[in-house]
Amino acid sequence: MVNPTSPYSPSSMPSYGRVKSKAMRNRLIITLVVLIFVYVSAVSCKVDFGLLISGIPDGINFISNMLPPDLSAVKDLIKPAFDTIIFALLATIFGSILSLLCGLAGASNIAPVWLRSSSRIFMAFERALPEIIVILLLISALGIGAFAGVAALSLGCVGMLGKLFADAIEEVNPKILESIESVGGNKWQMIMFGVIPEIMPSIVTNSIFRFEVNIRLSVLMGAVGAGGIGYELYHSFNILQYERATTAILITLFLVFVSEKLSGYLRKKVTTSYKLK
Amino acid sequence: MNTAKDINSSPWPENAPIPSKKYKRKLGIFLIILMVVSVFSVYLDFNFLLLFTDFHYVVDLGKEMYPPNLSVLTSKPEILRSIFQTISMAFLGTILGGFFAILLAFLGADNTTPNRMFGQCIKFILAVERVIPGLVVILFFLIIVGLGPFAGMLSIAIGSIGMFGKLFADAIEHCDYMPVESLYSSGANKLQAIKYAIMPQVLPSFIGNLFYAFDINLRAAIGLGVFGGGGIGYEIHMAMQMLRYKDALALILFTIVMISLLEKMSDAIRKKVIGKEVLH
Repeated sequence: MVNPTSPYSPSSMPSYGRVKSKAMRNRLIITLVVLIFVYVSAVSCKVDFGLLISGIPDGINFISNMLPPDLSAVKDLIKPAFDTIIFALLATIFGSILSLLCGLAGASNIAPVWLRSSSRIFMAFERALPEIIVILLLISALGIGAFAGVAALSLGCVGMLGKLFADAIEEVNPKILESIESVGGNKWQMIMFGVIPEIMPSIVTNSIFRFEVNIRLSVLMGAVGAGGIGYELYHSFNILQYERATTAILITLFLVFVSEKLSGYLRKKVTTSYKLK
Repeated sequence: MNTAKDINSSPWPENAPIPSKKYKRKLGIFLIILMVVSVFSVYLDFNFLLLFTDFHYVVDLGKEMYPPNLSVLTSKPEILRSIFQTISMAFLGTILGGFFAILLAFLGADNTTPNRMFGQCIKFILAVERVIPGLVVILFFLIIVGLGPFAGMLSIAIGSIGMFGKLFADAIEHCDYMPVESLYSSGANKLQAIKYAIMPQVLPSFIGNLFYAFDINLRAAIGLGVFGGGGIGYEIHMAMQMLRYKDALALILFTIVMISLLEKMSDAIRKKVIGKEVLH
């Protein structure tokens, strides 16, 4: 039973209906706008679910061609898989060094204004470019091979890691830098003994995370011609050796999975060990 | 009282070795990294110095690319169409992938799954899917639907499911359980509890994540274009393969501008949507 004198009776809340209908109207407008966008983009994407359904037998046929995985290829693929890991590892190390340099150049408390803004603009450009385009550019400049691959992956780090490092450097407590300056330290000593120890946790955790990203990217990069497991995968597809390709896919999955778990574990460990200090 | 002795007495033990333990450890780590790098560099035939001596190739490429042929953007209608294709691939892939990610998240999350075993299966599928490289997915869809943006869109959708299914499931599992209990106690069924108690809690994070997914997918759409997914990535790849570097630079510059603008736009819309909470 609703008590008519209660403050919660419908008559005492005249605005409720209006509020509700406004929310409904907003929801309706949003749904409509999204639907229009979906329709327009479906037309431009040439979405054709008939094609998808008629292609399903092809897909099943394809998968059955891929199975069972050609396990005899494993010993051929161990070396490319190892190469991929090394690619990612070297690229992470060189990339972190490059990013640290760019980060130092992009931090307002270390670098002069002109250097900071130019470094920041460079990093923003690099970040906006998808990695694959950077890789394509460098491969067309330096040629196909491990060198171009590692160089491309290292440069690919700069956009993301450089910005993170620069932000971390700008957050370094100014008192630390001042105290080094006050005892006569020059800029180099300020960086070496003030900045680097302070941002070490950020460097280590972000680089480990980047290693995980680099593993994924080096698979992609192999496909454009830098070798490693990605090349084997793409090449096996192209010469229609689907069973071998399945093995390469399984190895890739394993690599990605292990690198992800390892990076998660290491990052957690590093963060806790720095917290304890 | 500051005597000379006080100042000179260090906090370290009297006869501590001069290269301290900490210093030695740092040096050790540094040497190990240096050794690993050099061994692997030799193994891969990767000469770090080449980065400096061969840098002129990059400069040459830059010179070759330099005045970007901006007229390519206006002269060919297919370029504009391909840019639009890339954006719509990312958009549609995000919507489709997000829809399935939310569906699978509700089916997989421990507190909303219809059956525990079934939920574990869904979670396992999501975990496996997350590690499948985009390259494999696009190759698969190229075989099913052929070259073009549709294949790219489908693989972006699959990628988004993998990226966000588990995240969404975690969000559902971590939501506050009190509202759900109170709904149950007033006689609601499971669907009603999901709609009125869980959905309002997780929707803002879902929407925020989908905007974030759009940013990622935009780049992925360009990358997939290189492997035959259509759109601007394909055009850039073609321009570079045909050594039309000036066209390629124009396309790349345009891509950068487009990505930055769309990122800003999606950021603004996200802030508006989530900030005002118009959706719930």
